[in-house]
Amino acid sequence: MLGALAVALLLGVWELAPRVGWVREQSVPPFSDVAREAASLLGRPEFLSDLASSGARWAAGFAVAVLIGVPLGAWMGRSRRVRRIVDPLLALGYPVPKAALILLFVLWFGAGNVARVGIVVTGCLIPIVISAMHGAAGVAPELLWAARSLGRRPPILQAALPQILSGARIAIAVAIFTVLASELLIRGSGVGAYMFDALDNGQTVTVFAVAAIVAGLGFALDAAYVLGVRRALPWLEGEL
Amino acid sequence: MAEIEARGVRKVYGDLVAIDGLDFAAGSGELVSIVGPSGCGKSTFLHIVGGFVEPSAGTVSVPGRLGIVFQEPALFAWKTVLGNIAYGLPRRERARAVRYVELVKLGGFERAYPKELSGGMKQRVALARSLIMDPDVLLMDEPFAAVDAQTRSTLQAELLQIWERARMTVLFVTHSVDEALFLADRVYVLSQRPARVKEVLEVGLPRPREREQVLADPIYRDLHARIWSLLEA
Repeated sequence: MLGALAVALLLGVWELAPRVGWVREQSVPPFSDVAREAASLLGRPEFLSDLASSGARWAAGFAVAVLIGVPLGAWMGRSRRVRRIVDPLLALGYPVPKAALILLFVLWFGAGNVARVGIVVTGCLIPIVISAMHGAAGVAPELLWAARSLGRRPPILQAALPQILSGARIAIAVAIFTVLASELLIRGSGVGAYMFDALDNGQTVTVFAVAAIVAGLGFALDAAYVLGVRRALPWLEGEL
Repeated sequence: MAEIEARGVRKVYGDLVAIDGLDFAAGSGELVSIVGPSGCGKSTFLHIVGGFVEPSAGTVSVPGRLGIVFQEPALFAWKTVLGNIAYGLPRRERARAVRYVELVKLGGFERAYPKELSGGMKQRVALARSLIMDPDVLLMDEPFAAVDAQTRSTLQAELLQIWERARMTVLFVTHSVDEALFLADRVYVLSQRPARVKEVLEVGLPRPREREQVLADPIYRDLHARIWSLLEA
């Protein structure tokens, strides 16, 4: 309730400020203009096709990061040797700005989808690997011993699932802004490219509208993820 | 039914001696309890008997099939009560789990997940999960320590009922003298860390054991006093 009020207040200020003259309308268009442009964008085929391209890169990058990162992280969590080998690589990669990396990827792989998806994978790997690693390492030994005494293999991934799902939730957001950032830099196609073109043409309202759509999608994806996980896995305890 | 035999079991962690040469034996169908102060190494000893931890020295022989119940229920959170109980069974035998739900008095909770269960209920599931495998030896590591006194009394009585019929060999680790005496045929009293056997006592209380009767029995009181003085020494 209080949250909704805060948002309403913010939107109210956003609407009023440019109209009253607190900020220049060219710099910050009023909320209603942005909302109208956003609605219009969602009906424009060029934008939708860019949205689809971005979406595909987001999905592919996220999926590959999960496929590689979860087993790798789990392995690191259970094997001190593997952890000792991979940990420093992760630590080095962590502070490197993805923006710098994307230029490197383009240099190596060209400006196509390999570099674009590759950078998303790189960005998502950190939260996924770390959460999988902690999840796997944190499994109570009694649980594994119980499985062993029952003649079953150690259920590492299932026991680590709550942490893995937390890491994946973070990775969803990381993937979104990594896609956007890479498209802003190397353009060509995608939502980031669309936004850059609008900025280049002085279409401030469009820039805001694209940003608003991306923010809205991010919010919706996160909410859908949390809801979906809760429904699919009713046994899960605690926060995601 | 099998026996448990451990000779000269020693466990060292770097400079720390957790167990300093333990001999232990349990005959077929016996319920033997190990009592000792917290942190004395009795759980470690049970883990060694179960083959989950390697001893630094000594031998352990447990020829039969092993079941184990830990202090923390160690249930598989992603499985229902039925799923947990049936976890060790081949697919075609899974239907047997239903009977064991009844056995531990959890009728109605077949499809519940561990997160919906109380501590006592979780331990019942853990117990059923072990029992369904028809173990020759059942290892229990302070299984009722984390539940309230009422539930503990109930679970102790139920355990005895189940054991009277199945008569597997049971190694029951506890820090509660009351519990050890109520349940066991014999009690091993351990020292503080590093764990050594101070004394082994025969519990000459008749079976089946009723709580009121046992508490009033002079044998119980004598043994209780004896064990307490050993632990305090």
